[in-house]
Amino acid sequence: MTDASMSTDHAPAARVARVPRKAPVRISPTRRRLENLVLQVVLIGAFLLLWEYASDRWVPKLMVSKPSDIWTQIVRWLGDGTFARNLWVTIQATALGFLLGASAGMLLGFVTGAWRRVGEVLQPIVTAFYTLPRLALAPLFLMWFGLGMEFRVMFSATIVFFLVYYNTYFGVREVSSELISAVRIMGANQLQVALRVIIPSALVWVAAGLKISVPYALVGVVVAEMLASDEGMGYLLARGASQFSAAQSFAAIAGLLVVALIVDWLITRVTDRALRWKTAGVPQN
Amino acid sequence: MLLDIHDVHFGYQNEVELLQGFDLQVERGEFVALLGPSGCGKSTLMNLAAGLLHPLRGDVDFDGAPLRGLNREVGYMTQGDTLLPWASVAKNITLPLELRKVSRAEREERLDRVIRLVNLADAKEKFPSELSGGMKRRALLARSIVYDPQMLLMDEPFGALDAQLREVMHQELLSTVARTGQSVLFITHDISESILLADRILVLGGLPLRVMEEIRPPYGKNRVLAQVRNEESYFELERHLRELMREADAETKAAKARTLAH
Ligand SMILES: Nc1ncnc2c1ncn2[C@@H]1O[C@H](COP(=O)(O)OP(=O)(O)OP(=O)(O)O)[C@@H](O)[C@H]1O
Ligand SMILES: [Mg+2]
Repeated sequence: MTDASMSTDHAPAARVARVPRKAPVRISPTRRRLENLVLQVVLIGAFLLLWEYASDRWVPKLMVSKPSDIWTQIVRWLGDGTFARNLWVTIQATALGFLLGASAGMLLGFVTGAWRRVGEVLQPIVTAFYTLPRLALAPLFLMWFGLGMEFRVMFSATIVFFLVYYNTYFGVREVSSELISAVRIMGANQLQVALRVIIPSALVWVAAGLKISVPYALVGVVVAEMLASDEGMGYLLARGASQFSAAQSFAAIAGLLVVALIVDWLITRVTDRALRWKTAGVPQN
Repeated sequence: MLLDIHDVHFGYQNEVELLQGFDLQVERGEFVALLGPSGCGKSTLMNLAAGLLHPLRGDVDFDGAPLRGLNREVGYMTQGDTLLPWASVAKNITLPLELRKVSRAEREERLDRVIRLVNLADAKEKFPSELSGGMKRRALLARSIVYDPQMLLMDEPFGALDAQLREVMHQELLSTVARTGQSVLFITHDISESILLADRILVLGGLPLRVMEEIRPPYGKNRVLAQVRNEESYFELERHLRELMREADAETKAAKARTLAH
């Protein structure tokens, strides 16, 4: 397969000078990744420049602030420890909410998926709760858990729970019955079937569920912090807006962005490791 | 008598009359080949023997007792791919040993032997998604013979192998079962393969399924396949079986057309 850009570059030269034809060269994946990165940086840089220019010229600065002000705000918060303190609070709540929701979701998902009868009874009940708007639970949770950490953790856990639950449930149900029979004929008991077939097979789905639910854990915490809290990134965000300081809100969002990126990177690393068998047979590019 | 399928009735939703009082016996140490047109019910018979399917009427006895649930005394090499996709070739092959709590040292030793037998030593650490179709079949084969079940159920085990490897596997399979005294129930489409390997060949066909003819190749347990291939009787048998297969095929097709018309 010849690369399009190569052949158009070299075709005239070959005709004129009879340069021996080179073997078609593919752009190496590293090079390509680097190019993509440069393009992304350029794109974001251009956007920031445009923002800086447009602020107070086309749009009132009160509404959108501007990158240089936001940067000043970030530096100030970095300096006085506001960032560190509130980020830490948010990360803690996110991690706890994620762990709680994910383990409950996996457990119930596995039980309802693996035992048909249990599933028949419990699955409709879970679905009924799922259709409830989660925000409707906030007042109740506030009443039960108060303004502290527990409220934010529980709120985020309920969101994570359903995502992980459904992925685990369907993952377990999807397991090939042919595979299960084969392993049972080889002599596996129920527990061995669960450990060696059902769990690894469902792991693809579970991992996907875990991966998509991490950002939701963060969203849950931030929303809870905005609703009722005096700490955390969500609180900073809401406070900025209530004081008509767009710079503060954007600085808080920037902080959240960094957290989200780090968390996503981490979870990708973990799940990719567990799913190495899945990517082993993919053609190289 | 190791396997005794006796007066069994069985059918699927769309194939209700598949088995109407079918009988099939396999003696201890016997090698039985099932030969028959595609879709006649060979794999179904094997699933009954493995306890994956249960007869509507009649009995499946194994080792003198009626079969309840799955048959854990057999090694079953299915027609489909049942390798665990998340485990390496080596882990897949030793799985039955692990499940049976065989010690690590012995697992390694047996793995070493069978993996060389099926010519997969270089692919030991690969995942199934990295294997070719024939390599997958070989891994499945290795897994079904790595432990010593009383009986091997093999559903077209060598279909995807190249001719050379198939010859090696034929001789190896024969010497293994001669040594261990295992019984084999073997499905194939390949007429010469059935003559080379089996003590008894059942040509199957029709709907409901019946045994059209039973043939006993006269070569004994310690046959040397290179010699058998030159026997006059081998060619005779091959001709005869080819004719039978044609009849079986025609009869099955006619019967299916008849049930469709109803
Ligand atoms: N799970 C199933 N559900 C419904 N019908 C089935 C099922 N499995 C097999 N059949 C039908 O039963 C008949 C016998 O199938 P079987 O798989 O036993 O054939 P076979 O002799 O093994 O064929 P082949 O040589 O192609 O593997 C076929 O007509 C098929 O359509
Ligand atoms: Mg079949």
